Amino acid sequence: MQERPPVLAEGLVRHFGDVRAVDGVDLQVRTGEIFGFLGPNGAGKSTTVRMLTTLLRPSAGRAWVAGFDVVAEADAVRRSIGVALQDAAIDPLMTGSELLDLQGVLYGLPREHARRRAGELLERVGLTAAASRRVGTYSGGMRRRLDLALSLIHAPTVLFLDEPTTGLDPMSRLSLWEEVRRLNAEGTTVLLTTQYLEEADQLAGRIAIIDRGRIVREGDPKDLKAAVGSPTLFVDVPTGQAPLAREVLARFGDARPSPEGTLGVGLAGGAGAMSDVVRALDEAGVQLDHMELKAPSLDDVFAEATGHRLEGAAEAAPVEAAGPPKRRGRRGR
Amino acid sequence: MTAPLSVRPRALAQVGALSRRAVVGLLREFPLLLPGILFPLVFVAINAGSFTKSLPLLRACCYPELDSFVTFTLASSVVQGVLFGSVQGATGLATDIEQGFFERMLASPVNRTAILVSRLAGAAFLGALQALLFAVVLTIFGARVAAGAAGYAVLIVSGALIALGFGALLAAMAIKTGSAEAVQSTFPLAFVLLFASSAFFPRETMTGWFRTLADWNPLSHITEGLRDLVIDGWSWSAALNALDLPLAVTAVGIVLALVALRRRLAAS
Repeated sequence: MQERPPVLAEGLVRHFGDVRAVDGVDLQVRTGEIFGFLGPNGAGKSTTVRMLTTLLRPSAGRAWVAGFDVVAEADAVRRSIGVALQDAAIDPLMTGSELLDLQGVLYGLPREHARRRAGELLERVGLTAAASRRVGTYSGGMRRRLDLALSLIHAPTVLFLDEPTTGLDPMSRLSLWEEVRRLNAEGTTVLLTTQYLEEADQLAGRIAIIDRGRIVREGDPKDLKAAVGSPTLFVDVPTGQAPLAREVLARFGDARPSPEGTLGVGLAGGAGAMSDVVRALDEAGVQLDHMELKAPSLDDVFAEATGHRLEGAAEAAPVEAAGPPKRRGRRGR
Repeated sequence: MTAPLSVRPRALAQVGALSRRAVVGLLREFPLLLPGILFPLVFVAINAGSFTKSLPLLRACCYPELDSFVTFTLASSVVQGVLFGSVQGATGLATDIEQGFFERMLASPVNRTAILVSRLAGAAFLGALQALLFAVVLTIFGARVAAGAAGYAVLIVSGALIALGFGALLAAMAIKTGSAEAVQSTFPLAFVLLFASSAFFPRETMTGWFRTLADWNPLSHITEGLRDLVIDGWSWSAALNALDLPLAVTAVGIVLALVALRRRLAAS
């Protein structure tokens, strides 16, 4: 019986020389949820995960995973968790089936049990036909699916996925998302790190945003977005007119971080104020090259919390786009 | 939610499974093993062709019973091939570290020492296989092992131990540097070590600083032990010479590799 939540971190710190890569992270992942750990490259996501998965010793602070201390009870942690790391290679000389067998032995599964489980997992991730092929011949998507299967060989209670879809094509990404949802629906608690806003938004029931080693926001993505409030209007104008346009836009709300060459303003009056903005810019003699209104997104949450936008953030949904309700991970009990 | 299936794994089973992987991986990269097999055979072919006339000299100075130059080169071929093979084995460990497979293993409840032991077991198996291969091929081409079956057995065991010993030293390097390139850079060094030994000619034919170098070179000691068995027949002292130094190198290498592993794990 676990008294502690599946993942609990208190004041985790990790130095690399003078660099404080993780700077006092407090984290709590509830049983049965998908928890998204969102941040740009170098923010401290992977370092945090490496500490939680016993691969790195914390410089300070404590953490428990599956109820076990990650330093004092590292072996028990390893037996309880599944880990698919961003940089962990899969031996290209082995076949998928051989690697699953090996993983079964490493986790102490009886041979027959391991073999049966390997068959089930290959079926599950759609690699049965490729099971006897060397991994070196697999596509990127197939390797990630095998990686997922390897991390599941011992039916872990907590699954760590470090940037599971980085570098995958859209179809492979969707397929992996489906599998993560399915696992979660079966009761596996998932902690996934990602730099993709959409991924966190689509999959996670709760997220933590990390920047420069510190968690700057944490909660339900819907609540976090709602807390940002007004939508953001992005305006492109000729370079010479930017100061004037900025002056005009300031009348309609606070400036928001925006991609280079674009001005951003949080429209206090919402979408209804757009026509007023257009009129005001026109009257001031500002030529409009392009404008776009976006509903509050996780990128806005990130920008509001950190003062800069997440690299490569392009997934914010336009206000007008009404998509199907998003599926989320099972909520904490 | 169900409990995880993992129980406390058995280290021996892990060593077995990881050793299998090490051997399978090496055999599947057979082209990379070819230099370690072909070079010694090419040397035998060239030397047998070029130095046949030196046979009376070899008989006069050191081996009155020597029947052919191929017999003379059998011991050095084993040492040479196994030495090159052990570079390849340690490169596998460095590649695991470089590419992240090492980290994958560390994230599992694998016994940390099993990671190292399995690589070394794989190297030893390959060393024995290479020794057997050279013994068989050169026997086909006229070499004669005077010590008979026991001589062949010592050749194979010594091959395994040389691979284990030098493999362990190189594994220490692989673990410390985590660089396959660094390990492979020792390949030319292995050549130099061989040429500066009595692998190709008896020490009695050398003079000056080269003789001193060969006197101190551990490969001279190993090769001569094996050569005595091959040419002169069975003797316990020759068998001991063929095995004692590889055993000592193995002991030192394993200690160094374990220290390197412990340091690497502690640094994480």
